[in-house]
This record gives sequence, structure tokens and C-alpha cells, in this order.
Amino acid sequence: MIICDGLTKTFGNVTAIQDFTVEIPDGRIFGLLGPNGAGKTTTMRMLSCLIQPTTGRAFIDSLDIRNKDDAQKIRCMIGLLPEVPGLYETLGAYKNLDYYGQFYGVPKQQREESIKNTLTTLGLWDRRKEPVGGFSKGMKQKIAIARALIHNPKYIFLDEPTASLDPAASKTVREYILDLKSKGDTILINTHNLSEAERICDTVALVKNRIVKVGNPKELAHDLFARTITITLQEIPSSILKDLSAVDYVSDVHVNGNQLILNVRHPEEDNPRVISWLMHQGLQVQFISEEEHSLEDVYLKLIEEAGR
Amino acid sequence: MRWRNAWIVMHKDLDEFKKQKLVMGSIIAMPIVLGVVLPLVMFLPMVTIIPLERPWDVNGLLEIGSLPDTAHIPWTNHTIENTTFHATVISNTILKNVHLSNCVILSCILKNTTVVDSTVQNSSLTNSYLKNVTVVRCKGTGLDGAFILTVSSDLNFIRTKPSDIDQVLPMMFNMILMIFIIVPATLPTIIASYSIVGEKNNRSLEPLLATPTTDGELLTGKIFSAFIPSMASTLLAFSLGVILLDVVLIPKVAYPLLPNLTWVLSMLLLAPTACLMSVLACVLVSSKVSDVRAAQQVGGFVVMPVVVLMLGVLSGFIFLSPLMIFVFAAVYGCIDLGLFYFARAVFNRETILTKWA
Repeated sequence: MIICDGLTKTFGNVTAIQDFTVEIPDGRIFGLLGPNGAGKTTTMRMLSCLIQPTTGRAFIDSLDIRNKDDAQKIRCMIGLLPEVPGLYETLGAYKNLDYYGQFYGVPKQQREESIKNTLTTLGLWDRRKEPVGGFSKGMKQKIAIARALIHNPKYIFLDEPTASLDPAASKTVREYILDLKSKGDTILINTHNLSEAERICDTVALVKNRIVKVGNPKELAHDLFARTITITLQEIPSSILKDLSAVDYVSDVHVNGNQLILNVRHPEEDNPRVISWLMHQGLQVQFISEEEHSLEDVYLKLIEEAGR
Repeated sequence: MRWRNAWIVMHKDLDEFKKQKLVMGSIIAMPIVLGVVLPLVMFLPMVTIIPLERPWDVNGLLEIGSLPDTAHIPWTNHTIENTTFHATVISNTILKNVHLSNCVILSCILKNTTVVDSTVQNSSLTNSYLKNVTVVRCKGTGLDGAFILTVSSDLNFIRTKPSDIDQVLPMMFNMILMIFIIVPATLPTIIASYSIVGEKNNRSLEPLLATPTTDGELLTGKIFSAFIPSMASTLLAFSLGVILLDVVLIPKVAYPLLPNLTWVLSMLLLAPTACLMSVLACVLVSSKVSDVRAAQQVGGFVVMPVVVLMLGVLSGFIFLSPLMIFVFAAVYGCIDLGLFYFARAVFNRETILTKWA
């Protein structure tokens, strides 16, 4: 489990992240969302024991990131994919991975098998000896992800894992991440890709130099936005706007053609009541649907509010 | 310190280094040009143009350590027959009651030696050099009473005034020796200057620092990855240079001149400590700057202590005796140790990763 308690980092007069307090249970995927300069990478670097917090503390498996001896143990448990792949460009993919595998004491045979499997999965086994400097951004990113996972770490920190990947490669990486989660790994992801976060994260924290909101992506949307219901009627009488607006559990009613669009707070309870009310008015309901608010809507709204 | 981790860092750096053919080529070529080609260019004309009137005096470079095994033959109360002595040095001794019969003494040196109550019969002494040799109560065939060896015309007795060549030779040899000390101090500056800041600029440092490697292990790996190729190429050039110089000079000096004790000690003690000092200073600078060019520029100053030694030796203020070599190596070694601990103490992962100006 990762526990962050008031984690704060300042560089001179600039506060990168302030009072970052979260708990990430084992086996979960936790997303850090925020604009550039929001402190996401700084937070990840603190948890990777690369930089020290100015104040606050954090524990990974009860090991203190501020303690030098604990930091060594933490580094053995984590796999880090930094913002930039940072591969050794003159060396081949195999040597790049083998180099890191050796640091973590992965036995030679296991290392060879692991590298072969990973490079085969990534479609790079035949090109394992070519200098990676000649590879595309996406291929480099794949190798960097493989490097972070070479020692089967319990905690995986991924900074923009799909940033430079094409859609097909992004999908492969997302599936790979979900596969890791199913094996019980705990994953922390920094991302700008909101739909990706929505699809794979159990919990997200919206940050802008501090935590703006933490929660499940769907719950966040529900908490922030009234649920918008679209009801398609056979015909809509002109008086309905006025009559329906008077109903207390309904708000923001408007009409678009033969569609009635309105907000309710608790659709599970309110939708049947609205349908009953409409039928009671002698109207025929053809379809009913709920407009989903995406994580992007949540993100934009919260980040805008945080900036005010 | 887990040496295994340092070895991994070094091995990776050497792997990368092997891919840089031009850099590797220059590291191998520089000591060969300065330590092999240049001396040959200096000596070959001298050897071919200057006529041999007598063997060149390389006094001062000759050490007891370079005595061939044959010199340990008991030289007192001894009879030697039908034996050839080649390139043998007999120095600071008394030959008493020695009887040589049917012997050949070729390209040998006999100096600071007294020969007493001895005889020589049907023997020859060719192309050899004698200095401060006193002959007392000796007899032989075919010679007058002053000295009774059967000798060729190349024989020289005590010489009082050194020739021009004799005066120039020690200076030339000192210069070559200094090249072999200053080259390993200069060679690694580029590689060592790049070691940390280069990885920082390539963005490969962050994942490396996230591994369980300690600061000391990382620095040690980086230090040896710059030290090993520099010293290896210097030793290669040294071996080549010594062999070729001996081949070129042996007709003139009458025996294999190099390597003598001073040269061996210099290569085993002075050159490595000077090289290490240069590497350590450059790695230290590399961990404190944000730009490879800045590291290389500042790294240029690190050869200063070696330049001071070179100027001292060449100007004659410092005589590079074995004792002096030990003293300088000890001083350099202490500086090396201090630099390592200082570099480790000021190695700050956070500053390296986050400071860009």
C-alpha cells in the first residue's frame, strides 16, 4: 500500500505540489491527472525516492521514502517509466533491458527468458541487436515500459505511458497495464489522456499543485454534474416546459424537437417518477437515455475551478 | 559498496564506448602517436646519422633492477670457460680471482668495478662499455701490462667528459616518460566529463537513479569506465614503445635499456594515480554542471598537477628517482581518495535531476 501524507515539494519559491494526501491500496490503478506543471512528475519522483519531499511523508509497504535505507528497498520494489524513455541509443533493445535486469539481481536465465518474451510480445525480438536510436518514438516507449517491468516490480510508476504511441500500440499498452493489475500489481499513472484514465484507473486524483479531487472517474462525474436525461416523446405539447419545471426533482428542462432534456439528481429514483408523470399527462414515451459526463468534462470543470 | 553494481555500470559504459569507433580510435591512437611514433621520430635520425664512436652513456637510467640473470654468477674464485656473455651488466662489484678462458663478452657494461688477481685467455670483449674499472694484478695473453683482456677496438676506458649525446639522452628519456604519465591524465577527460551530465542530457539518468544503485556504486562504475580504456591504451603504447626503443637503441647503448625501475614504477604508480585523479575530477565536475561542454571546459584544468610534475622533471628541479615516484604517487593517491569521497558527498540526485541552469 502507498500512503502519502501531506507530501509537499517546493523548488525555491515555486511549490510544485502541496499537501498531497492519498492512500493507494495494493492491486489498484491510481491515475494522476493534471495540466503541465501541476506537480504530477514531481510526486512520482518523490515516491520513486529520486527527490526528497520538503515536508510531509510517504510510505510504500510501510517503508519511509525519506529514510535512506528504506529508499534502497523501495527502489527494488518499484519500476519507473519516466516522462522520456531515456534509453541508451547506441545499444540494442536487448542490452538496454539486460542492463537494468542485472541491477535488480534477476538471474541470467530468467532475464533472458523475460527479455525474449517481452521483445517478442512487442514485436522487437528480430531487431533486438539494432541500436535503439534508430527506432520510432513508439518503439522506444515500448522498450522503456519493458525496462520498468524487467524485475517484476510490485509497484509500477508510469509517467505518460502512451504519450507517443499510435492507437494500436496504446491499446496494447493499456491491455498490458490491465493485465498487470490482474496479477495484483499496484500502478500509479501520470497521464493527460483522460479517456485512457477513465478506462483503466480505479481511482484518479485531479491535481493542480495540490489535490483538487480524488475519486472513481464515474463517481467524480456523478458528484460534479447533475444527471442529464433525454426523453424522446411522440409529441411534445407547448405547456410541458412550464408544468415540468414546477416538479421539484427536475431541473433545467428544455426541448429539442421531440426530445425532452432535463436534469435529475438521482436518476435511479427520479426517472420512474418522471416517466409516470409524463404518462399521467397522456404523453407517449418512445426512448429514454442518460447523457454521460466524461472524465474530460470533470477534468476541465475542476481544473478551471482550481485556477480561479 | 556492492562491486557488482559498479561493474554493471562500467560494463554498460564500456559497451557504449565500444560503439563509438572514433572516440575509441582516438583513445588508442593518442598514446601510440605520442609514446611510440614521436620517440621513434626523435631517435631514428640520431641512430642512423650519428656515427658510433663508443656506446652512448645512459647513466642515470641504468638501474640494478635491469641486471640480467647472468650477472648473478659467482664472480669470486671462479673459472669460466667457453662462455658467451651478451648484454650483461656488471656494476659496483669486485671480481676477484676470476679466470676467463675462451669467452666472448659482447655488448656488455662493466662499471664501478674492480678486477683483482684475475686472468683472461683467448677471450674477446666487443662493442662493450667500461667505466670506472680498476684492474689490479691481472694477467692475460696478447695485451700489454696495463690491462690484460683481449679486446676489440671498441673498448673505452674511464671517460671524464660526457659528449653532447650523453647530455641530451637523459632529457629525451625523461620527456618520453612524462608523455606516458601525462597522456593517461589527458585521455579520459572527455569520457569522464560526459559520464554524468551526458546521461542527464540524454534523459537516461532518471531510470538509472531509480534502480537500487547507490551513489558510490554509480560513481565507481563511471570512474572505472573512463579509467580502464585510458590506462589500457597507455600500457599498450608503453609496451610497444619500450620494445621499439630497445630495438632501435641497442646498437648504440649496448644493452636493452628499457624498461628500467624508474619507468616501471612510473607506469605502475604514477600513471594510474594521475589518470585516476583526472577521471575523478572530471566525474565530479560532470555531476555538478548541466551541460557537457561546461564539464569538458572545466575538465581541462584537471591535468594541472601532472603538468607541474612534468615541468619540474623536464626543467631539472625534480629528479624522478624511485623514492620521488613513491612520494608523488602517494600524494596523487591521497588526492584521488579525497576526490572520491568529496564527489560521493556532493553527489545529489535531486539537484542533478531538477537543476538545469
